Amino acid sequence: MQVDLQDPWSPLFGRLTLDSIPYDNPIIVGTFLGAATIGLIVVAAVLYYKKLPYLWREWLTTVDHKKIGVMYIILGLVMLFRGFVDGLMMRTQQVMAVGPDSPGVLGAQHGFLPPFHFDQVYSAHGTIMLIFAATPIMAGLGNIIVPLQIGARDMAYPYLNAVSLWLTTAGAALIMLSLFVGEFSNAAWVGLMPLAELPYNPGVGVDYWMWAIQLSSLGTTFNAINIIATIVKMRAPGMTWFRMPVFTWVNLSTSIIGLTAFPVLGVALSLLTADRYLGTDFFTVGHGGNFMLYIDLFWIWGHPEVYFLILPPFGIFSEIVPTFSEKPLFGYLTMVAASFAIAGIGWSVWAHHFFTMGMGPDLNGYFSSATMLVGIPTGVKIFNWLFTMYRGRITFTTPMLWAVMGIFLLLFGGFTGMMLSAPAINYTVHDSVFVIAHFHCMVLVVAVGAFAAVAYWWPKVFGFKLDERNGQFFFWTFTLASIVVFVPMFGLGLEGETRRLDYVFNPQWRPLLIAEEVGIVLYCISVFYFLKMIYVSLRDRVPAGDDAWGTGRTLEWMTHTPVPFYNFAVTPQINALDELAWRRENGLDKVKPQTFVPIHMPSNTAVPVIIGAMAMALGFGMIWRIWWMAGAALLAIVVAVIARSFDKNQGYILTAEEIAKFESKTELASMIAEQPKRTPLDHVEAH
Amino acid sequence: MRFLRHFALCAPLLLLAGCSTVDFALFHPVGRVAEAEYHYTLLLVGVMMIVILPTFLLMVIFPLRYRKSRNATYTPNWSHSTVIEILAWGVPFAITAVLIHYSFVGVYAVNPYNPDALDGSPGSALPPIKVDVITTDWQWFFIYPDQHIATIDDLVVPVGRRVDLRLTSTSVMNGFYIPRVAPMVDAMPGMRTKDSFEVDQPGTFEGFSTDFSGAGFSWMQFSTRVVSQAEFDAWTKTVQANPKTLPYATFTQLAHPTVNFGAKPAYFSAPDPELFNKVVMDAMNGVVYPVPDSLTKSVSSNEGKALVPAPASP
Ligand code: HEM
Ligand SMILES: [Cu+2]
Repeated sequence: MQVDLQDPWSPLFGRLTLDSIPYDNPIIVGTFLGAATIGLIVVAAVLYYKKLPYLWREWLTTVDHKKIGVMYIILGLVMLFRGFVDGLMMRTQQVMAVGPDSPGVLGAQHGFLPPFHFDQVYSAHGTIMLIFAATPIMAGLGNIIVPLQIGARDMAYPYLNAVSLWLTTAGAALIMLSLFVGEFSNAAWVGLMPLAELPYNPGVGVDYWMWAIQLSSLGTTFNAINIIATIVKMRAPGMTWFRMPVFTWVNLSTSIIGLTAFPVLGVALSLLTADRYLGTDFFTVGHGGNFMLYIDLFWIWGHPEVYFLILPPFGIFSEIVPTFSEKPLFGYLTMVAASFAIAGIGWSVWAHHFFTMGMGPDLNGYFSSATMLVGIPTGVKIFNWLFTMYRGRITFTTPMLWAVMGIFLLLFGGFTGMMLSAPAINYTVHDSVFVIAHFHCMVLVVAVGAFAAVAYWWPKVFGFKLDERNGQFFFWTFTLASIVVFVPMFGLGLEGETRRLDYVFNPQWRPLLIAEEVGIVLYCISVFYFLKMIYVSLRDRVPAGDDAWGTGRTLEWMTHTPVPFYNFAVTPQINALDELAWRRENGLDKVKPQTFVPIHMPSNTAVPVIIGAMAMALGFGMIWRIWWMAGAALLAIVVAVIARSFDKNQGYILTAEEIAKFESKTELASMIAEQPKRTPLDHVEAH
Repeated sequence: MRFLRHFALCAPLLLLAGCSTVDFALFHPVGRVAEAEYHYTLLLVGVMMIVILPTFLLMVIFPLRYRKSRNATYTPNWSHSTVIEILAWGVPFAITAVLIHYSFVGVYAVNPYNPDALDGSPGSALPPIKVDVITTDWQWFFIYPDQHIATIDDLVVPVGRRVDLRLTSTSVMNGFYIPRVAPMVDAMPGMRTKDSFEVDQPGTFEGFSTDFSGAGFSWMQFSTRVVSQAEFDAWTKTVQANPKTLPYATFTQLAHPTVNFGAKPAYFSAPDPELFNKVVMDAMNGVVYPVPDSLTKSVSSNEGKALVPAPASP
């Protein structure tokens, strides 16, 4: 059944040979040494301070939604950094390799990256930024905040939650591995077809891309199921649908997209897998295959995916703007309606990504119109935020600065998106860097939303605020960098510069490429301030109150800071939209519960992290066609799942006395504290 | 920090000033189709500005005006106004309706298969110049079925004549694009797409591929030379006299992955009259021109050795 490959294969190592390791490439070797050093230091520190049991018990095997969320965000930030370095390399290559006389170093004819490497770098950049940076950060935020906002103890399925995290991590690990073992895809984050088929991509690059996405998208689907179930079933008494904060609403709409869209991607990738491994002809050109089918399937997922990413930042801005304007959100109901309108319309616009593929004018016209309709709810959101600020009392803390910048970016991204959605314009700039500039405006909304959210909710999770001064430096350098990179990029788009060039054939484009390079240097400075901000905050640790900003409106600001692992000592009774603001007005915000009832909590489990590790082995085995490894890993996953279903562990009971103790000294229950071992129950009544 | 803040806020202005010295190719369309594209770009952007500009102003004014330190009017509980909400939905709705209307008119005007913009053009009175465009990894073949000639990476057309293109590819997808002249259209293996344009002034315009197609993609340019009818006829005669011919067997040799550094043109007489159809049929029947891993890895060191066909595939 196996298809013929160009290079040798052995039963023990599959396609893996010593040549697969790029030890002759100084950039990769340098990266490897750097990563290995950092890794060794971390491992050594953990061992030296005897933190291994702590790490295992409190983090790797945890099912606590806040810890899982924090790990999602750390994963996302690490990948964000990796993606940023890819971006830095691409910009530097393009500014070096202009015109036939430009010099080349490190074995490249022009610039410092030969096409072989450049093409992998840009493919990895897109894949990483969208799927392994933006998605995990947003998933992490949803994980931490949604249960707190609706007064739940945890997610509906804590175990599944951990499985989602570790599957996503397995995917990310595979991408990182592709740097040191073998190669990555050169067929772009979208998987250009038929370029990603075996005749044009005989190496393992496309397989790395395929399996990394496949694993993580499974994780994302599970996470979507979990969030939907949590929001539908776990709201505190009195939390009616229309008392839910907007951030929770957007997580519902975004998870509906996640649940319905990601399986389409799964199918598309599975069919491609069949093509590449079994020699079927789903997306090939000949033998009745149709690669347009892949392009359709990909964008049927791909377009909803971009809204999947942008909706959570809409929710974040809808929390931050009212808090720092000291006013309720303007037009709550229309905000909710707009979120679902965006999610709904997002399903019927996918063909705007290939207006140039020869569809007739009526079809192109239809997809153009449908796309433009998305502009309406997007516009509504902008107006609602503006009228929330109107007659407010605005304080410009870092979260608010990020939020305002996000709204500006949204305006430009929306404006250029509307331009692109007119075929008459699209025919001139499709696949040019104008498109790149458009979607970076939009994806920057996601990045900016992430920075806003991290600054805003950081004190809730860790008990102290991020350093404001360095935060502002970070904000302004980042803003400046974004402007200096992306305004010239729009200009280059209007000059016709096409995307994905490893060598720039038109010397007229050089001035603006130099401007972009300056912007990238500014981004490097902003990364420095980001790290400094984290360092200074960890060093100073100025404690924050329960309502860290003093003007919080929603439920998460009612419980302790830092949040105890059981979230709320007593499940709150909800009386209004913006519960905390309501209690503050009625003088109830300082009232603390006096009597406690025992709480049933889930026990930790090692199964998810094992599944994650095995999934990674499965992916690695499939990529290199080491069948025994893939088979064994798959078997291990099946056995682990079955074994767990016989496990009688039903969680444990937190007694009223313990809660009273924790409530009087919240550090004891905080996320970084070590909890005593518990004896699990083996039987509970349904409740 | 103050300085940084002011600098960040002024940067867009500086950059705009910088950009205004750059000559944007898309702002200099030639020929009716490209002019129509430019027209609809300006029109749609203009309509959008009706709502974008005021919104932008509000976005600057509100955050500045309602800062806490300014002690402006503060209404702590105001969060609803039916009038504003109707406007918030209504204005974008109205603008979008107008945009959709013009988008529909525009898509017909520049429809690559039969652009309305060419109705009644000077060229439409004459029979069109037909050119078949075939992309390989990584070159452009232009076949003139009526003139019985073919070129690589050199598209020559007479001024004031409508040019009708048929496009396909031997291997992967490519985007056919001449920024100042013709709408972008994909060239796809096993399929036939179309494009049309007509240029009313002589000149040379750069064309290239926009859809990433592998290691040689960045070198996939071609020149579009628009010449007078007399020059075109003379050029055709010269190429017709070229002893190099292009039977299908030669074409399949040349179609193997080749990076044409510097887009050096080549000319052929008497191309196989069924060349385009054969390419389409072959692709549908599963003929591929595989890219050897080695070529992917070392393409940059091959520079200078243009037009070296790779070893024939099994
Ligand atoms: C008003 C809303 C939007 C409109 C009208 C819009 C329109 C478009 C259109 C027409 C394209 C295709 C351009 C082309 O390839 O020729 C496009 C590409 C893209 N958009 Fe948007 N968009 C909108 C919002 C967003 C958002 C919110 C995001 C992400 C968070 C986003 C991310 C992207 C990406 C990633 C691509 C390019 C994908 C690729 O080819 O690699 N867009 N958009
Ligand atoms: Cu889209």
